[in-house]
Order: sequence, then C-alpha cells, then structure tokens
Amino acid sequence: MTDALARRSFRDRATPEAIDSVHNQLDALWEDASFVPDMDRMTFATAVIEASANVVQHAVPESAAPVELGVDISIRETSLEARVSAFGAARPDSGETEPGMPGDDAESGRGLALIRALVTTVTFTRQDGTNVWILSRDSTPA
Amino acid sequence: MELSYEVKDSYAEIRAAGRLNMVSAPKLREFVADVVASGSSRIVVNLEDTAFMDSSGLGALIGCLKAARQAGGDLRIAAVQPQVRMVLELTSMDRVLTSYASAAEAFGND
Repeated sequence: MTDALARRSFRDRATPEAIDSVHNQLDALWEDASFVPDMDRMTFATAVIEASANVVQHAVPESAAPVELGVDISIRETSLEARVSAFGAARPDSGETEPGMPGDDAESGRGLALIRALVTTVTFTRQDGTNVWILSRDSTPA
Repeated sequence: MELSYEVKDSYAEIRAAGRLNMVSAPKLREFVADVVASGSSRIVVNLEDTAFMDSSGLGALIGCLKAARQAGGDLRIAAVQPQVRMVLELTSMDRVLTSYASAAEAFGND
C-alpha cells in the first residue's frame, strides 16, 4: 500500500463534545489533501462522524474506566481510510444491528445504514480489547 | 450551532447555523418545542447555514416534525445545502421532510 499523503489522529474521552473535535480535525485535514474531490470529502466525513457518534452513544465501558474514542485517518491518492476505535469498550452484542433503514417515524437507527451507503467497505474487528471499525472509501483525484 | 427564530405572518422561521449533530440535536428539539409551545405550529427550519447534518440531527428534525403536527401544524425545511441533501436522499427522508428553495416558499401556497 502506498504511503499516506495526509493523516490525522484523535483520541479522547468518548463524549458528545469529542464529535465536534473530530469534525474540526476533518475540516483541517482537507487543507493537506486538496486533491480529494468535494463529493468524497463530504461522504467520507459524514461516515466518520456517524461512526464516532455511534461509539459515543453505544459503547459500554468494559471496566470502571470510561470509554475513549480514537479516530485515525489516512488519505491516499485513491483511497480514504478511517479507523474508529472504542478503547476500553466491551465487545458489542453479537448479531449485527439490522442494516436497513427504520420506518419513516423513527428518530434513530439510521446511522449504520447511512455509513454503509457512504463508504466502499466497512469492517469491524476486536483487537486487544478494543472495538475497531475500519471505513474505506475509494476516491478518484479531481 | 446557533439557533434563532422569527415569527412571520403565517409561520415561524427557525434559523439553524452550524453543524446539526449529536451535540446540537437535543438543543434543536428543545428550541422547536419552545416555539411550538409559544403558539407557532407552522414551522420552517431554514438550513441555509447548516453545513452538516448527521443521523442524530435528522432524528431531531423528524421529532420536531412530529411535534409540529401534533400541535396541528407542520414543519418544512428550506435552503438545504448539499451535505444535508445527501443525508436526506440516502435515508429516503426527503420524502418525509419536504424541502423548499426558501423559507418564504415553504408555506407560500397554503
């Protein structure tokens, strides 16, 4: 794999305010990666924020220590990748959440389906007690 | 996110500037609930300055739509920007949350 042309890393307590910090990092990232087309920036950023918000809302601490959110982004010429980690979180319930969209009246439950619609691949792994979602979007330089 | 509102002849216009995410979504719900409680149930949310919306922001808009309808009114959105439009289309909620080019047009025909 080619070296990343731009990177950003974030790690902090998994609080709602952390989402705004991740978003600020994403906005700054595009200054280092101006070759990424607007459509790819918009879709990728939306997926990263959705996955981060999912950690803040749903991650359950494995011990007394609070869950931390980690976001590591690597931009390559033809791919955008984010590793969104829930440090110190318990293994999520087995059986993945239904990826379809909920009914029109529902006020939640669209995040996962939205992520799937926004990126090329989504994978989940549990490594050393950390839940990790890897989001990848193919990109064609403008 | 900065929220403000103005009561017009036949509706109340709420302006939401910034990111509509899990931080600001509860604030929007509360803000709209207060506007509805004050007697305005025909609401236009002007999204001209909303550069970003995630699924929690979308959930808040749906909740606000239900609150407005329960009070006998409706909630419509105006001046939707590209990222917000994308989220509405990918979730098919563009069928439920009717969008208009401007706040003035949202209740223009009724």
